[in-house]
Amino acid sequence: MAERNEARTNWQAAQIKDGSRPEGRPFWEGTKEGKFLLPVGPDGKAFWYPRAFVPGTLDEVSWKESKGEGTVYTYSVHYLGPPGFSKKGDAPHVIALVDLDEGVRVMTNLVKDEENFPDIDIDQVRIGQRVRVVFDELSEEYTLPRFTIVD
Amino acid sequence: MSVREATPDVAEARRMLKKGIVIAGVGETEQGILPDRGSFDLLSEATKLTLDDAGITLADVDGMVTAFSFVEHTLMHATTFCDYLGFRPGYFASVAVGGATAPLMAVQAALAIDAGLAEVVLCVRGDNTRSGISSSGMIAQAREMTQGEFEWPYGVTTIGGYGLLAQRYMHEYNVPQEALAAVVATQSEHGALKWNAMLREAVTIEDVLASRMIATPFHVLDCSLVNDGAAAFLVTTADRAKSMKSKPVYITGIGEGYSHQYISQAQSVDSVRDGLGRAGRRAMEVAGITPADLDVAEIYDSFSFTPLIALEGFGVCGKGEAGDWVLEGNAKLGGTLPMNTAGGLIRQAHLGAMHHIVEAALQLRGEADDTARGGGNHQVPGAKLAITNGSGGILAATSAIVLSSEPPSA
Repeated sequence: MAERNEARTNWQAAQIKDGSRPEGRPFWEGTKEGKFLLPVGPDGKAFWYPRAFVPGTLDEVSWKESKGEGTVYTYSVHYLGPPGFSKKGDAPHVIALVDLDEGVRVMTNLVKDEENFPDIDIDQVRIGQRVRVVFDELSEEYTLPRFTIVD
Repeated sequence: MSVREATPDVAEARRMLKKGIVIAGVGETEQGILPDRGSFDLLSEATKLTLDDAGITLADVDGMVTAFSFVEHTLMHATTFCDYLGFRPGYFASVAVGGATAPLMAVQAALAIDAGLAEVVLCVRGDNTRSGISSSGMIAQAREMTQGEFEWPYGVTTIGGYGLLAQRYMHEYNVPQEALAAVVATQSEHGALKWNAMLREAVTIEDVLASRMIATPFHVLDCSLVNDGAAAFLVTTADRAKSMKSKPVYITGIGEGYSHQYISQAQSVDSVRDGLGRAGRRAMEVAGITPADLDVAEIYDSFSFTPLIALEGFGVCGKGEAGDWVLEGNAKLGGTLPMNTAGGLIRQAHLGAMHHIVEAALQLRGEADDTARGGGNHQVPGAKLAITNGSGGILAATSAIVLSSEPPSA
């Protein structure tokens, strides 16, 4: 079984905390409960990333739960990354853009499974692959959604 | 999600440029790893070289447009540099739109001249990015390219962010790695002729494919350089340039375009190509020309893929065809539209698009033969029309200008 990458986990939690905006708070509260919440406008259409007002119309925002399933739009295998990520000679990590079935595109990592969330084997990744969300509890404050392949 | 979009006035841009807005001087320092040079030191040298090229002194300049620095942190870059220079211009501005900055500096100078705020405007950009930046500064810079809350924590890099769209493009059009590598090989032949190119040896497609993979689909040789150096150009009116030393080059077209800020928000390959392509298409519309009229293309090349989608967006090639176009040799010196004739960001140096503008100007002046300076002849014979662009972010904000050896006719 893969060991948990503690350095990466701590780095990610710190980066989210540092980069977070108040309007994203409902999303991070949702992931702690295993929900992938999407911001929506009055027409019920989801948008991404969270804003205080609906982009383009400046209408009021509400939230709805995504089923957490989608399709890989594209990906890039990273052999180098920020602190805690792949260094020269390490196994690479995979950054993907996933189109959720609710019609928004999100960035994520592709992981092998939910057992310590090891990076996916790169020969398993392809454009058009169906994926589903898994929730990685980084810290008490932040749970990060990642995606894994639907069998 | 609906996006509100405004459309600029082509006739108004033509009216401004019809006055005769010219680049009347250029200058570029040595490029590379220069640990003994500071950021403002390099900017000062580029300033001096450009003034010498125009045959004027600081006393003749009344406007200053600068950019930003990764090393000299200041909220007021233009005046901080002016103070260092001992110069009090009547008009000053700092432009900061990432890789789109250099053409936007030219636009800013043109606007100031058109409004009567200044008549002779120096545009200078450079930095000791390679030697002066701290590792935390490097990480902070990479982070700024991403959405800080919903992209960056996943470990995406600038290279990989570009890689995401490049891989989708290659998937949709069945474009091979060799097409990307051909961009590098082509530009390496050009860089070998440029006196101050950081990388002067030509490489092959095989060399690129054999180099270390950084983030798919990009090998290390597919990536642009990180270097120390500076470059500048002087913008003024054609009337004022008559008393200057160098042959003036006319700015005959300007255009901007933009489809997304963060790469996760790019809708499709089509939307990105259309968004950044709009900059070039508008610039050519203002200039009253078509891609077939161009003699030289200095196209922003942060990565080997970047020029491919720009060439398609500008209408030089059809959708998905730019790779074959480069593989067939069209972008080489002697080809149908020589591209990045001094090596570009991948082989010469990365100062945003400053060198693209300087090289385009030198081409239209007929002065792109560096044999006397230890380089070689990379002049496109009889070049009269050039397009140049810069892109900020990950294939995001883009600005393009058309340069001509002749006054605007449109």
